[in-house]
Amino acid sequence: MGLKQRKTLKEAIEAIKDGDAIVLGGWTIFRTPMAAAYEIIRQGKKDLYLSASATGTISDMLIGAGCVKICEAAWHGHEAYGFSYNVKRVIEEGKTNFRHLEETTTSVFMRAYAAAMGLPFIPTLALKGSDMLNPEYDTLKDLRGKDPKIAKKRYLEIDDPFWEGNKVILIPAARPDVAIIHVQEVGEEGTIRINGPQFGDIWYAAAAKYTIVTTEKIVSEEFLKENTNLNSIPGEFVDAIVEVPFGSHPGGCYGYHDTDPWFYKDYVEASKKEQTFRQWLDKWVFDLPDHAAYLNKIGKEQIKAITADPAYGYNPNLKRSI
Amino acid sequence: MSSPNENNCGYNLMEMLAVSAARVIRDGEVVFVGTGLPMLAALLAKAAHAPNISMVTEAGIYHPKPMHMPMSVSDSRWFYKSPWVAGPVEIMNVFLQKRRIDVGFLGGAQIDIYGNLNSTVIGDYLKPTHRLPGSGGASDIGTLANRTIITMVHEKRRFVKRVDFLTTPGWKCYKFPGRLLVPRDELGMWGGPAVVISDMGVMRFDETTKEMYVDQYFADTGITLEQIKANTAFDINVSRAKPALPPTDKELTVLREKIDPERIFLGRKRKE
Repeated sequence: MGLKQRKTLKEAIEAIKDGDAIVLGGWTIFRTPMAAAYEIIRQGKKDLYLSASATGTISDMLIGAGCVKICEAAWHGHEAYGFSYNVKRVIEEGKTNFRHLEETTTSVFMRAYAAAMGLPFIPTLALKGSDMLNPEYDTLKDLRGKDPKIAKKRYLEIDDPFWEGNKVILIPAARPDVAIIHVQEVGEEGTIRINGPQFGDIWYAAAAKYTIVTTEKIVSEEFLKENTNLNSIPGEFVDAIVEVPFGSHPGGCYGYHDTDPWFYKDYVEASKKEQTFRQWLDKWVFDLPDHAAYLNKIGKEQIKAITADPAYGYNPNLKRSI
Repeated sequence: MSSPNENNCGYNLMEMLAVSAARVIRDGEVVFVGTGLPMLAALLAKAAHAPNISMVTEAGIYHPKPMHMPMSVSDSRWFYKSPWVAGPVEIMNVFLQKRRIDVGFLGGAQIDIYGNLNSTVIGDYLKPTHRLPGSGGASDIGTLANRTIITMVHEKRRFVKRVDFLTTPGWKCYKFPGRLLVPRDELGMWGGPAVVISDMGVMRFDETTKEMYVDQYFADTGITLEQIKANTAFDINVSRAKPALPPTDKELTVLREKIDPERIFLGRKRKE
């Protein structure tokens, strides 16, 4: 296995090319690789092909900043903090070349799972009866068979040939170039320990050609090896390790910190209009050189207010409706 | 048109919806919950009459007993003292697709007479007037759960003749090519919506026609059958409707003091 490349966030994100197919770990407002997203925007990445299931702040920000050309996703929103206004506006105004493809939780993760297992496609009983199977609504139709990153068909329906002949939907594997996940602990050989819910991170890490892991803390492999069962992802799937405390802020990170209601209030309001969002991006992304400066700007008091109680893994006293 | 029950009766819209939905959950069931109202209803059912239910969320949470109100299916609050955690790959396949889910919760911006739901767009999908969050796990739950409970705000613009986009299949849904409306079992689907709970009443689906009809109405709050008809764009049968029982003091106390004391969801004026 050997030691994994320990990089700065800037170095890790430089490996991403315009037009790359990217999968992002976490879930809406928990443990998504936000620091990586800020750096993607800062470096001006374009035409990204994003695949995400239930996605919130991270997609809204990347799409709002104009970094994304295609997004395949099941759900957009910051949960009770508000709706993904950037996504809403970009789609409703239809002024850019952005395309959205409807997925469901099952279809996104099964496509990543297939990719992780080296399969070209995978069967599911989901999607039946819905407009997800409507050929008129296949927004990538004209790219199929032309763009090598996109499957030749959105799906195929067959009758099960082995048993009772029920209708089964075959969906193509995803083909991510890059996976980015944010986790609690990583050893110097890339062994990953995720605390709390894992979501689909292991499949994303395994599916992609290049996997970037941002972590709250780089710890010793010896320590991780004392409790093998607690380890989530082997170093085999990891290409770059970056230590980024609060790397999923303003989302929460189980065991470390909760979501940031003050930041969300401000963000959601700013995201309602293009002009105010541009100003927000200047203030929180372009005018700041790195994530450390971002945390400095948020300030010790706010960071302290969202820090988790170790007995719970979140802050039980946090007032989230403000 | 705002509901009269929002101010007069000592309980608000969200509370009534949560109580009505909780009552439909049976003890011992495995319940697939989502953010907001489904969580409230399941937690209330567990605290009230169904202590042996297990909940799952699509993010991978299993059999949680949260101490504090989660605000997402992925919230760290669900993880606290749960016996096992998985990911969406396990939950959507091994639980949902394998028919282990007894009841799933659904909602949406629009619903039609067969219980098809739309949570994707208002208007034309390719150039929508309003982009909505999307399916999430809703379509999967509608397709694969053994039965579903739908919660909706009762307005004519929501109870429509035909949904603008069919996100979550009901009793008669689409077959392609041709986008033909066919019975769900023709597509090999089990399950289907058992009940629709709105801020005006409780609806069910006719055994034969699979069309929505009014089973109960919230007469206690002043709702009339005429109001229900006026707020439904399709012809809805009201001949079988009976007045519903209002929330009890116990149900309201549990909701307000134990489940959502921060009023993150209960404090909302309207259900989204």
